[in-house]
Amino acid sequence: MLTIKVLGPGCANCRKLEEIARAAAASAGVTAEVVKVTDMQQIVGYGVLKTPGLVIDEKLVCSGRIPSAENVAEWIAAAQGR
Amino acid sequence: MMDWLSTHAPAMLAGGLRNLAAYLAAHVLLCLLPAFFIAGAMSALIPKESVTRFLGRNAPGVVSYPAAAAAGSLLAVCSCTIVPLFAGIYKKGAGIGPAITFLFFAPAANILALVYTGGVIGVDLALARFVLSLAFGIGIGLIMALLFRADDAEHDRATDDVFSAQAGAGMRRPALLFLLIWIALLLAGTLKLGLLTGTYAQFTVPWAGADAWQAALDRLVPYNAHNGEEGVSAQGVLLIVLLAAIGLAAWRGLENIHDGVTRWTRACLALIAATLLLAALAIEATPAGLRIGLTGKFFGIAVGLGALHFLARQRLSGDEVRDWLWESWRFVKQIFPLLVAGVFVVGMIRIVIQPEWIEAVAGTNSIVGNLAGVAFGVFMYFPTLVEVPIAQMFLDLGMHRGPLLAYLMADPELSLQSVLIIAAIIGRTKTFTYVGFVALFSAVAGYSYGAWIDGTPLVVLLLSLAAFVALLAALLTFASRRSAALHGV
Repeated sequence: MLTIKVLGPGCANCRKLEEIARAAAASAGVTAEVVKVTDMQQIVGYGVLKTPGLVIDEKLVCSGRIPSAENVAEWIAAAQGR
Repeated sequence: MMDWLSTHAPAMLAGGLRNLAAYLAAHVLLCLLPAFFIAGAMSALIPKESVTRFLGRNAPGVVSYPAAAAAGSLLAVCSCTIVPLFAGIYKKGAGIGPAITFLFFAPAANILALVYTGGVIGVDLALARFVLSLAFGIGIGLIMALLFRADDAEHDRATDDVFSAQAGAGMRRPALLFLLIWIALLLAGTLKLGLLTGTYAQFTVPWAGADAWQAALDRLVPYNAHNGEEGVSAQGVLLIVLLAAIGLAAWRGLENIHDGVTRWTRACLALIAATLLLAALAIEATPAGLRIGLTGKFFGIAVGLGALHFLARQRLSGDEVRDWLWESWRFVKQIFPLLVAGVFVVGMIRIVIQPEWIEAVAGTNSIVGNLAGVAFGVFMYFPTLVEVPIAQMFLDLGMHRGPLLAYLMADPELSLQSVLIIAAIIGRTKTFTYVGFVALFSAVAGYSYGAWIDGTPLVVLLLSLAAFVALLAALLTFASRRSAALHGV
């Protein structure tokens, strides 16, 4: 079971990223819990200076832009390989 | 009250619609359309590491304060970056001083605000807003750092990995060129230079009813210099239609750009190019038809668009173009509807405000006038950029440019929403101190700019500003010595 965290205060970008992350997890056939992190202290704690941020199993994989669905799928695969 | 409403409502509604039509036709296109794309390019293509690496804990003040200001104008185009960067600089980076400089400078110097202020109100006010915000942003930052030294020392134990990016993360050259061409295109469209506004070739499209049509438009949307109503031309009507078409195409083509580029995306971009070109033409209604003049602007924009097309197709990666389009569209979605609503409401309000009221309070560059400007800015909350049409209304109704600048500085800096966010990150005491300083400095900025407009020599102004800052610094040093002595340090 994977934990995917979407970091961001709830702007349009964070919602888009959440959508993409859910879709990527579903199409990879992975059961994942998608958590939204809106608390700024926690977001800065992950070292994000520009939202949205994507954290997979406590590892920050991307921040400041919306990644493509293929990229998210690769990161999910990499996280499972660990 | 009902009587009052029923007599005024139709006039107010008409006023709102007229204001909106005039805005969409005249101001939005050549300045706001490129500005949205520039903001998108800044947000998508400038790697934040190129600036944030100067904001680490060990950066000396000479580097970190200007870097914070640069971050404010280059990186912080929306709250997605303002809040995290502010929290990051404060907690993990250079500390409260640069964080405050960043926070103060960002809303005053971001590309959308500057371009819009320059296009609607005047380049002089946009420049004053930029320069004074820079000076006072750094000033307030330094003061806050001085006041809250003790708290900063506490933060020093934390690490600043976030800011330790290597120098390698510069901006790619094609991306930089892309951004610069957009800026050139914006300047070509908005600068009022003879070279650009002059007409180099003319032809007439036969259309017998053109002048009658324009006369009808003038009756519908009267031109009235006294209270600043602007009127709409035949060209303006065409542009409004094109804008609506762009909106539709963008909704279909840019909203889901992450799924790939579609025909709608291409249609939308083609429409935008056509709109920019049309807006740059000089069109005049004559009895024989529409006389169309090819201006310097037109050629400038045509060349710029060609270069942008080449860069986007040949030199930028698919990801870069996609991110850029998405960010630009996101700004439009976030800001434009509120701006349209704001302009409409301003047009309605303008009908009922008497110019005498404004002139009585802020018609001259008095201390009371400047304080009134600040107070209005602090207690009213307007969405991003709506402060500009409001300021223009005040200007048309007779407000002096000094108090106007005081208002323009205070309004975006201090809204209830942003104050609450800041308070959550740096605590109440610091927030209230910050708010107090912003109010004070905005009034001083307005007053000195107003004095300059009224003819006070620059040297006298600079000397008195320096004296003001020195006095403030002396007071603060004294105060902090006192409190240090009280605490037995």
